Amino acid sequence: MTRYHPLVKRLLDGESRLAELPPELQAEGAEALRLLAVADRTPVSLPAALDARVMTAVRAGGRSPSARLWRWIFEPRELRFRVRPWVVGPALAAAAALVVLLNRSPAPRRGGSTAVVAPESALVRFVFYAPAATRVAIAGTFNQWDQSAAPLVRAGKEGVWTVTLVLPRGQYQYAFVVDGRRWVPDPAAPAVDDGFGRRNSLIAVGGGGRAL
Amino acid sequence: MPLVLLAALPVRLTAQQAVTARLDGRVPPAVAAAVRGLTDSAVARGLPAGPLVDKAIEGAAKGVAPERVLVAVRLVLTQLDVADGAIRGGGIGAPDAETIEAGAFAVAAGLSGSEIRDLVKVSVPPYTPAATLRVAGTLAAMGVPPSATLKLIRETVRSGGATADLQRLPGSVQAQMARGQTPAQAAAGLARATAARGSPPGGPKTGKGSGNPHRP
Repeated sequence: MTRYHPLVKRLLDGESRLAELPPELQAEGAEALRLLAVADRTPVSLPAALDARVMTAVRAGGRSPSARLWRWIFEPRELRFRVRPWVVGPALAAAAALVVLLNRSPAPRRGGSTAVVAPESALVRFVFYAPAATRVAIAGTFNQWDQSAAPLVRAGKEGVWTVTLVLPRGQYQYAFVVDGRRWVPDPAAPAVDDGFGRRNSLIAVGGGGRAL
Repeated sequence: MPLVLLAALPVRLTAQQAVTARLDGRVPPAVAAAVRGLTDSAVARGLPAGPLVDKAIEGAAKGVAPERVLVAVRLVLTQLDVADGAIRGGGIGAPDAETIEAGAFAVAAGLSGSEIRDLVKVSVPPYTPAATLRVAGTLAAMGVPPSATLKLIRETVRSGGATADLQRLPGSVQAQMARGQTPAQAAAGLARATAARGSPPGGPKTGKGSGNPHRP
């Protein structure tokens, strides 16, 4: 590519005339003008209908409102968040509280058990009323009669104790253990003789994780 | 025959090891030894050993004297025996452990061998004998007389409802009892209501003269 003197470039841009160039640049300027004249400088004429054709094509390629909505919903886009660090902690705490609230079991009855439906097991809430007890546990065939496996916690100040267990499908016998020594059947459940002079309560978790 | 015995030996050893593992540390050694003898006897007769071990562990956990624990374990063995015989009498030649345990539970709840047998005969698909016996035992434990228990279950099976209908019976009886009815009244009322709904076309059919379809 030929590199012209800046004054010659001004000449080519129409900003000066050949006569205004210094004598030593006259030849270079003349040659540049000659080369420029060789190029085809015929004015371009566009068909009159071109604009209409182009605009028709553009409109045909455009999306309908529903297509644009679909794209707006499903097409991936890059989102950028700017988070203030002190907001993260409370936001996580609020999310955790929401999860807990959504997963909360129904309110307990005054004694007995309630269950939340699950495919092959159930969350069963056992409730026992023992205002004078200092500790209450539940033991049964589901935990090898281990009275330390499932302690109940006091719910409020009215002597109601409760615990929620995950029980697979099946039938179980159980009893509440009060203060580590007294075995008491659930007053709200059917019971059978335990063979030792006491009664065992019954609970069945059936198909669909339903406590029966 | 000796080859069959040799093949069964590892299974039996495994069962013994499982029993030992469950008893160790949970029951006194003397009780554990006696219970192992009883479980061996049960397994040799085709009875499940689990309920015997459960009862021994339960007795020890409750602080029951060893000799009384063994009495209770022997009682469970007897209930398993009664249930096994009744279930076979109901048409199931080789009942599985689940069915035998369900039958023993029903016996413990107060049902007799003949009632167990009748319940097995009533249990046509989709109602399994184990489920029927569990529900019957629970109803008996709730105080429903055996005759009313049998009638309610028979009507429920005849109505051709889902197995869940059968499993819901204790809860339904309990709901009626909460309204002041006796267990017998509650069961009789539910049986009448179920009978009134009738049997749907193509539903389960019960009756004499046909073998138990649950027969293996």
